[in-house]
Amino acid sequence: MAGPSPAGVGSGPRPRVLAWAHHHREAAAKSVEKLFREPISNMLTVFVIAIALALPTFGLSLANAVNQEINRLDAPPQLSVLTEASLTLDDAKRLAEKIERQPGVASVKIIDRDTALTEFIEATGLDALSSRLDDNPLPHTLWLYPASNIRSAGLAQLSQDLKALPGIAEVILDSQWLERLEAFIALGRSIALALGVAMALGVVLTLGNTLRLGIESRREEIVVIKLIGGGNAFARRPFLYTGALMGALGGLISGLLIFITLEVLNAPISQLFELYDRSATVSVFGFQDFILLVGVSSVLGWISACYSVQLHLARIQPR
Amino acid sequence: MDLFFDRVGKRFDQRDALIDLSFSMASGEMAFLTGHSGAGKSTLLRLLLLLDRASSGEVSVNGRPLSKIRESGIAAYRRDFGVVFQDHKLLFDRSVFHNVALPLEIAGFTKRDIDRRVRAALDKVGLLDRERASPEMLSGGEQQRVGIARAVVARPKILIADEPTGNLDPQLSAEIMGLFAAFNSVGVTVIVASHDLALISRMSQRILTLKAGRLITLNNDLRGDH
Repeated sequence: MAGPSPAGVGSGPRPRVLAWAHHHREAAAKSVEKLFREPISNMLTVFVIAIALALPTFGLSLANAVNQEINRLDAPPQLSVLTEASLTLDDAKRLAEKIERQPGVASVKIIDRDTALTEFIEATGLDALSSRLDDNPLPHTLWLYPASNIRSAGLAQLSQDLKALPGIAEVILDSQWLERLEAFIALGRSIALALGVAMALGVVLTLGNTLRLGIESRREEIVVIKLIGGGNAFARRPFLYTGALMGALGGLISGLLIFITLEVLNAPISQLFELYDRSATVSVFGFQDFILLVGVSSVLGWISACYSVQLHLARIQPR
Repeated sequence: MDLFFDRVGKRFDQRDALIDLSFSMASGEMAFLTGHSGAGKSTLLRLLLLLDRASSGEVSVNGRPLSKIRESGIAAYRRDFGVVFQDHKLLFDRSVFHNVALPLEIAGFTKRDIDRRVRAALDKVGLLDRERASPEMLSGGEQQRVGIARAVVARPKILIADEPTGNLDPQLSAEIMGLFAAFNSVGVTVIVASHDLALISRMSQRILTLKAGRLITLNNDLRGDH
């Protein structure tokens, strides 16, 4: 039927590409219309999608935000080396020089025991304590800054080596709490990712089922379309748009849920950051994340429509 | 478009629906297809629309053997046909106008063209004033005429009608057959399956009679022989 039409009304069909574009516009418009034809059941599906996406997205965003904040701490790992109490300041200085020559050590700073006690008393305000102490209980302390290229495994080895040196009572790896926190966050992120994959699958199946019902309820229309020369693509298109649209709406509402949750959690989060002397300047869930979420959920919707249509549409043939 | 059946057979399970069927129709010809129910009328039309494939022999349309048309090409192939169904196959969730517009939407016509053509087609079947109505509100005869408008709106090269006057009174049936003859007179190839022998014998057109899957009359000579 391509080509010029017989004399009469109209100028014939559009060129193929324009017709294709037109079909897409029509299908998109129709899918919006269909969505509002059964608003309650469709909105329920959209909310299921929204909640399924909000959980892992929120978890991931939070893990990323905390991780970012940790990276901003930018504190080089540090070893505190406590000498034995019997060591004199001169012995401690010799020990420091010896340690400084070790590979992987950038610098060593000596905190002598008297300074340490004074600082401790100043910092804590426990003046009464000093009068009661006959003797300074603190040992000399060496602050050891490792070379920047040293890894945490090397750091652990270094602390082992130092412990073996005579005159050293204890080696404290100050970065351990940070590493533990990082590991904890990495675990949280993995869980959120796994949850995300499971939820994405759930979204595809839920939406796929909703669309299957839509396909079943339009069986007659599909049969007629196929009988009068509409291809699978023509019959399929509205469902693909419906899927993408419902996915996008789910993502949109999911994003709103996250924004609301963050607003509610804003006070405790700020408080938490203040406890660490940080201002909460890291955005947990920004506009870009929001756009990404809507994009991903639209694609998920499109995928579930493809899967559903593939399963069910081809089976509907004119009899 | 001409069509050619060359020793076509169609077998369902153990039963032969069509046996060794050969005939041809020239472009612009009109023919009635008749015979008792179960004689193979519907099977023949189904082969022509590629709703089924022949078990043996070959059907060619416009010189093109249908066995060469793959699944993916069927939709485009069907767009050359206008089909009137016995049960109308109208969609009750949209107006008369949008039912008739469907083939044009599939073919990708512009909205302006669709408006004009749909109105022209509805005018031809005398239903221009019902374009906003739901097909549910129409009588059986009116529904059939909407179906005819939909079949002709995209200016098909071949018009196929399967028992288009099945449940209509004689006067309406004659009007509808008259419509088909009118389309034929502007060059459309028309095939009408009908068992209303009294009506079609008055139409002075070629009659193909099927009996138990075989073609028993071919020519105009036997017209009216029932």
